[in-house]
Amino acid sequence: MARIEVKSEITGTVWQLKSKPGDKVEGGDTLIVIESMKMEIPVITEDGGTVTEILVKEKDPVSEGQVVAIIEG
Amino acid sequence: MSWQPEIDELHRRRQLAEACGGPDAVAKHHAQGKLTVRERIAGLTDHGSFREIGKLAGKAKYDANGQLTGFEPAPYVMGVARIDGRPVAIGGEDYTIRAGTGFGSDRRKGGQGGFIEDLAYEYRIPLVNLIDGTGGTVNTAKRKGYTVVPGYGQDGMERSADLLGIVPVVSAVMGTTAGGPSMRAILSHWSIMVKGSGQIFAAGPPVVERAFGHKLHKDELGGTKVAVDTAGTIDNVAENEQDCFEQIRRFLSYMPQNVWELPPQVDCGDPVDRCEDALASIVPRSNRQAYNMKKLLGLIVDRDSLFEIQPTFGKAVITSLARMNGKVVGIVASNPMVGGIMDFKAARKQGHFTELCDMFNIPIILFADIPGLMVGVESESDAILREGVRARYIGFQVSVPVFSVLIRKCYGVAGGGFIDRGGLNFKIAWPSAEWGSLPVEGGVKAAYRREIERAADPAAREQELEAELKQLASPFRTAEAFAIEDIIDPRETRPYLCQFIDTLQGRLRSQLGPKFKSGVRP
Repeated sequence: MARIEVKSEITGTVWQLKSKPGDKVEGGDTLIVIESMKMEIPVITEDGGTVTEILVKEKDPVSEGQVVAIIEG
Repeated sequence: MSWQPEIDELHRRRQLAEACGGPDAVAKHHAQGKLTVRERIAGLTDHGSFREIGKLAGKAKYDANGQLTGFEPAPYVMGVARIDGRPVAIGGEDYTIRAGTGFGSDRRKGGQGGFIEDLAYEYRIPLVNLIDGTGGTVNTAKRKGYTVVPGYGQDGMERSADLLGIVPVVSAVMGTTAGGPSMRAILSHWSIMVKGSGQIFAAGPPVVERAFGHKLHKDELGGTKVAVDTAGTIDNVAENEQDCFEQIRRFLSYMPQNVWELPPQVDCGDPVDRCEDALASIVPRSNRQAYNMKKLLGLIVDRDSLFEIQPTFGKAVITSLARMNGKVVGIVASNPMVGGIMDFKAARKQGHFTELCDMFNIPIILFADIPGLMVGVESESDAILREGVRARYIGFQVSVPVFSVLIRKCYGVAGGGFIDRGGLNFKIAWPSAEWGSLPVEGGVKAAYRREIERAADPAAREQELEAELKQLASPFRTAEAFAIEDIIDPRETRPYLCQFIDTLQGRLRSQLGPKFKSGVRP
């Protein structure tokens, strides 16, 4: 089991949490949606596994490259 | 009488050159995770294809009888070799010998204006620079007895510049690089830096500390995070030296040998009529929602043929080499995953890539989903207008066919940069496309301010006007007027584009050779 860090590609604000700890996810799934420049930008996991941590909550500011979720895969 | 003694001497001298800076220097170099320049050349080029030139150059010591007692090879190794069967000129500094600084021969082996650059120019073959040197040294003054004006005498930078219009030039930054070698790295069509061991700067940490009092690690000053991701001074990052060699081979596979030839075609093994169902639903119906443009591109081009240039810089635009039915294309695509709005970095990146494609007769396909230029004081201070207009100016000057695929948004000055003005002005759209000088939302308020304010229910009137204009914004109305050449089923994109890329090959063959461009770029 590897610990995988999922990062936001963009600076913005957390719009929606689409997953929670314990969720089983597949590569390509959206974990979190960030609002930035009037756009809804998904944070997508490249790897499948189980979500162990969501490190942000709605309305939190996030910056580019910030780790926002952890997956065990 | 044979010449055997001299032949033996020749082989002995060749062996001495093979030793680089000696076992201790080589061990120290290896301990830093770096290969020697000889190992690099062997690792990058086709097995056994390297024919070295100037192996005997160096500093020799003799005893009173004229017998050789010591030899320090010139700190630059170069020659010709093959990569994927095609000839290249290749050279690099030997860092194990006096940190790869010049050795003071009248004719340079490599670097700006060196023999290997002349060879690449005269033979019209690509040049690969494996850069691991720090340039000039104050010791030169001691040797010469006087100091040299930069750009005087044996400068040679003009040759490096000439090459950019003739043959592909690749530079790999494989060590700490400043001065001449750092200029050499930038005078290339494509550059790459090895993470950890590569750094590039105008001047290194000691000089910076003296000037500003800031103590910095060389990686903080000129490592991949600054030089590649932030500044775009170097194009791509390699995880290690092996990865660096693979990426160089990959880049050259898309390039012709020179501007008089077309890039090589390959048998792509991917059916031209592959129509991916996923394309019908990849763009969300809400234009606020992002989607993965790289995935979209991957479904259209020949399988696994995308090779991104500057993937970590100016991320609002994706610039990628790729193949369609085995023929090389250049792709410029908006990247909605980072908002897609063009900032000054994305504009610079788009302009540079457009020029690269034009120089080597690579047709360009633009995939647009661009809301506009980045607004705000910060962006204006970064000269977004000048950078954005420069990107368009470069676009006006291309002579390769350009094809626009409007995926979703195409607005304003930046949107116009996704449309070919120099040639056929051929554009196709997906049903999800929308365009104009600015989006209807927001645009209504500006254009109909008085009418909205006067209405009994201003909010309702605004919505009414929006709905009215949105109807007119249907791409089908533009297609009826032949103001867009076609709307296609997104699934047809691959066969559609492949056919046109096949069809325009004759055009490309008709315009081979160097391209001279006039005018002053904004």
